[in-house]
Amino acid sequence: MDLVSIVLVGLPMVVSLLLLSLVGLVPAALRPRLAVPMRLVTFVVGVVLFLVTTGMFFGTLGEVDWLGIGFNTYVFEEQYTWIESLGVTWHVGLDALSFPMVWLTAFLLPVTQIATWNEKRGEVYHPLILLMGATLIGVFVSLDLFMFYIFWELTLIPMFFLILKWGGAERRYAAQKFFIYTFTASVVMLLGLVTLYFLQQPTQAGAYAGSFTGRSFDLVNLSEVAMAANTDGVFLGKTMQAVLFVMLMLGFLVKLPAAPFHTWLPDAHVQAPTGGSMLLAGVMLKMGAYGMFRIPVTLFPHALEQFQFALMLFGFVSLVYGAIVCLGQTNLKKMVAYSSVSHMGVILLGIASQQPIGYAAALFMMFAHGIISPMLFAVCGAFKHHYHSMEIGAMRGMAKHSPWIATSMMFGWMASLGLPLLAGFVAEFMLLVAYWATFGWWILGPGLALAITAAYYLWSMQRTIFEGGEATQPPAGMEGKPIPDLDTSEKVAMLILAAATVLFGIFPFIALDMMDAWTQAAFVVLFGGA
Amino acid sequence: MSEQSVPAFSSEFFGYFAAETVLLVGLVLLIVVPNLGKGTFRVPGTQARVPWFFGGERYAFTGRPDVPGYISVFVLLTAFMLLLNDLLNGWDGAATSALVHAHGDTSVRILAATPFSRLMETLFIGALLLVAVASLDRYRSTQPGAVRSVRELYNNRRQADLHILLLTCALGMSTVALAENLFVLFVGLELASFSSYVLVAFNKESKAGSEGGMKYFIVGSASSGVGLYGLSLLYLWAGTLQVDALALAWSNIGQEVLPYVALGLMLVGFGFKVSAAPFHFAAPDAYAGAASPFAGLLATASKAMGMVGLFRILLVVTLPDGTEGSAVWLMLLGILAAVTMTWGNIAALGSTNPKRMLAYSSVAHAGYMLAALTAVGVWNLGEEALSPAAQEASEAVLTALLFHLVVLVAFKMGAFLVLGVLENEGEIRDDRALAGLGRRSPLLAVTMFIFMLSLAGVPPLSGFLSKLLVIMGIVKVAAVDVGTSGASIGFLGMDLHWVWGLALLMVLNSAISVFYYLRIGVVMFFDAPAAGRDHPVPRAVFATVAITACLVGTLLFGIWGDPLIEVCRSAAAALLG
Repeated sequence: MDLVSIVLVGLPMVVSLLLLSLVGLVPAALRPRLAVPMRLVTFVVGVVLFLVTTGMFFGTLGEVDWLGIGFNTYVFEEQYTWIESLGVTWHVGLDALSFPMVWLTAFLLPVTQIATWNEKRGEVYHPLILLMGATLIGVFVSLDLFMFYIFWELTLIPMFFLILKWGGAERRYAAQKFFIYTFTASVVMLLGLVTLYFLQQPTQAGAYAGSFTGRSFDLVNLSEVAMAANTDGVFLGKTMQAVLFVMLMLGFLVKLPAAPFHTWLPDAHVQAPTGGSMLLAGVMLKMGAYGMFRIPVTLFPHALEQFQFALMLFGFVSLVYGAIVCLGQTNLKKMVAYSSVSHMGVILLGIASQQPIGYAAALFMMFAHGIISPMLFAVCGAFKHHYHSMEIGAMRGMAKHSPWIATSMMFGWMASLGLPLLAGFVAEFMLLVAYWATFGWWILGPGLALAITAAYYLWSMQRTIFEGGEATQPPAGMEGKPIPDLDTSEKVAMLILAAATVLFGIFPFIALDMMDAWTQAAFVVLFGGA
Repeated sequence: MSEQSVPAFSSEFFGYFAAETVLLVGLVLLIVVPNLGKGTFRVPGTQARVPWFFGGERYAFTGRPDVPGYISVFVLLTAFMLLLNDLLNGWDGAATSALVHAHGDTSVRILAATPFSRLMETLFIGALLLVAVASLDRYRSTQPGAVRSVRELYNNRRQADLHILLLTCALGMSTVALAENLFVLFVGLELASFSSYVLVAFNKESKAGSEGGMKYFIVGSASSGVGLYGLSLLYLWAGTLQVDALALAWSNIGQEVLPYVALGLMLVGFGFKVSAAPFHFAAPDAYAGAASPFAGLLATASKAMGMVGLFRILLVVTLPDGTEGSAVWLMLLGILAAVTMTWGNIAALGSTNPKRMLAYSSVAHAGYMLAALTAVGVWNLGEEALSPAAQEASEAVLTALLFHLVVLVAFKMGAFLVLGVLENEGEIRDDRALAGLGRRSPLLAVTMFIFMLSLAGVPPLSGFLSKLLVIMGIVKVAAVDVGTSGASIGFLGMDLHWVWGLALLMVLNSAISVFYYLRIGVVMFFDAPAAGRDHPVPRAVFATVAITACLVGTLLFGIWGDPLIEVCRSAAAALLG
């Protein structure tokens, strides 16, 4: 059975689209009644996805050895002709690069739903979340450039609606900015992809070459051609490789986002509803990093070496700038958003380090941040939900009044600043090792930035959790109601996320081993061993 | 291509031009049927009155105001089905190209049914069919006894006029698609244009309608005049207006100036039709003034008609095998394309009236198409022109253009039809007409949003695939074919021809265009409904059918575009010979 096409992509896509059209067909008065069944159906689908991917991991489904896949070979691979004249195929598959991301998406889907169990207009909200998940998984499993681009752009649409319909006061501006900003970068990327497509020799296009153009969008075949050409020369020539590298990277850097292309992110995050933020930070940002590994790094290693310093600079600036801006934030969610920029800088530094351990660090950072940041945004969401404010210091002495929120916040903040035994630490530590190996004493830079990270997190905790105590006045928006704590659903979501953070902090090798195996294999091919 | 000549008005002739024959019969029916009545004829010199069934008190059936609409829809549907049948059943253009003798035994091509003309006819008739169906709601007829307002009375009285104009428009457009002679092409163009001038001004009750119609008519006839003057100069130079003869003459061109002047003047004429900058000034007013379905007609079929003219002149006449004079228009057209797409997009940014916005977006789309045409010209600049790769490249670009023209009918027309439904509640002056549509009618709003996304080029909609095909055509020429043909290339230090820059400009323009397309979505889903438009959208059954057809086309050709690409490809091959 085509597990990936039918279950991982097709099922959530079809179910969510069916449910959404059902809502559209039902008279307006009856729509609210659909919220509960819609939530149930989408939740079940999310759980199924989680179980299937987990089954894949343990080898119950498919009996895969995730450590022995290698580079540019895939498991669960399925390929069908789609648009024959252009050489477009429906080509999906998993490897150790994409699988952790797919699992992460499948894991976050039900957790996001739990955390925002009672979101308003749930009959549309929950199917949209599922649709979001389907398109995200589609991005990660695509092995055809055309298909990749389609899913890449499709992710914008559910997120656009999530921000526009469920967002904060400035949601109109934020939703448009988010869409336009990332769309602009992607069309430049598209032109790069099309140019790349035509620069292939028709003789190398493989079995699925287009009947019309003589070339194919098949990424696997293209990677093979590029790898062969790169071993004793430069694929497409030095100039062309550099140009295409820049065009593709632009799309990915904006999505990641790296400073100075990050300005859409704080707006989108602050205005997005909690569920949207969780998926945006948890998975959508990783599309950028994933795309970098999948396309430019794989195809253009020479250009990567050429631009190593530029990438390092982007990463470093993101890391430091994000951290410094965090220090000045008074809005809790904006601070967390900028901390994402900062952490994405870590991923870029990992790529720029050109060390196997740096790549593995970047991959694990993608994964760890994908678990930790949804927790941060869930905390922010609960803060807003219960205190009707997003300002740091609006609610003080939470440890006293709302121990659950306080504990979750403290846990998330600690995980994000890299406390040992939690998932984030592993990635940061590995990164520092890689950075030292490549750039030597420049390591003081990121080291300092991580210290700033600790500073802003601790400072914000001090101002929200501990100060005040008995003397606290609840924010005016609460109109004197008693100070609440987390709902049951929010508690469950926090517990799940915290458990995952601890699990991958103490036993990072569960995910790290396969990432390491991929990295080792990649380095042998791309850079002739490390 | 082995061709078969058919004399005019023979039985085979009617076989090849069955759709046009149906249109002609329909036109006669539309004139006759509503006039059938109990009229009598007094035999001169006697008192005897002989019934002749014409005029007088109408019969109950023929007097119904909705009859013309049904006739026209039925006729267009029949013609459309006939063409579609030809197109789908593997129309083998190589063997069955039909010619008409003009005189004697010298075979002169007047009309030719080729895969290209079949595709374009299908496009034109399909677009007009959508307009006709939607017009049943836009200018709704009311049973005579139930007429309560002046507007209803107006609508009843103009049913026959409206549908006659649609059919003449269809006939003119089909002629343009079939014409192998520039004079015949021009006659068809004018027939369709005059119908469309009247259609634009059809909304005579509103000031905007008359204003838009007047502007469109004046600018349109002026540019037709300029084009006609160019045509006459061309005739002066070559002594013929046969497309194939002109192509032959062009390949032996010397140091003459006359044909280039003629070419430039004709570009003006067709530039207006495709609403390319700087000939687009009348378009926004015309679109805003016309009833939405007719505006949709201008933006899709009428524009495709102009493109057919451009294809004939630029690709068939002036691009014969590697001569000095081929593709002289290259640089000019490149600049025109760049200006058109940028101007259209920037002007659209500032338009709050969705109809004006769509007009400017249509200007931008014209720019994309001109960019692709520019790319076709490139391959002929090299020393060894017409290498197999170059032939392939121009086919690729032309296929992309044809695909774009076809799917444009789906989503651009669809967008105008949605506006047409809203127009039933009152004129659309700004985007508040769309406000809150997401709440008033979620399905209509989602459909409109899909059309907007398709216009912006968001996958997997057909607008994306068409834009991708156009970009691919340009990139293929710029990156591959020119390199193999020996022309000098180099753009910003890359081994690419400068037309690649047009592709870059095109994607950047697509990015700009997202601003205003997305704004429609935001207005529909975010803003509260405007006063007077806060009730559910009134029912419009026929328009809904047409909109659904457009939606299906938008989705289907985007996800499964392969068959259409093949059809367009054989059409392109037929045009380029």
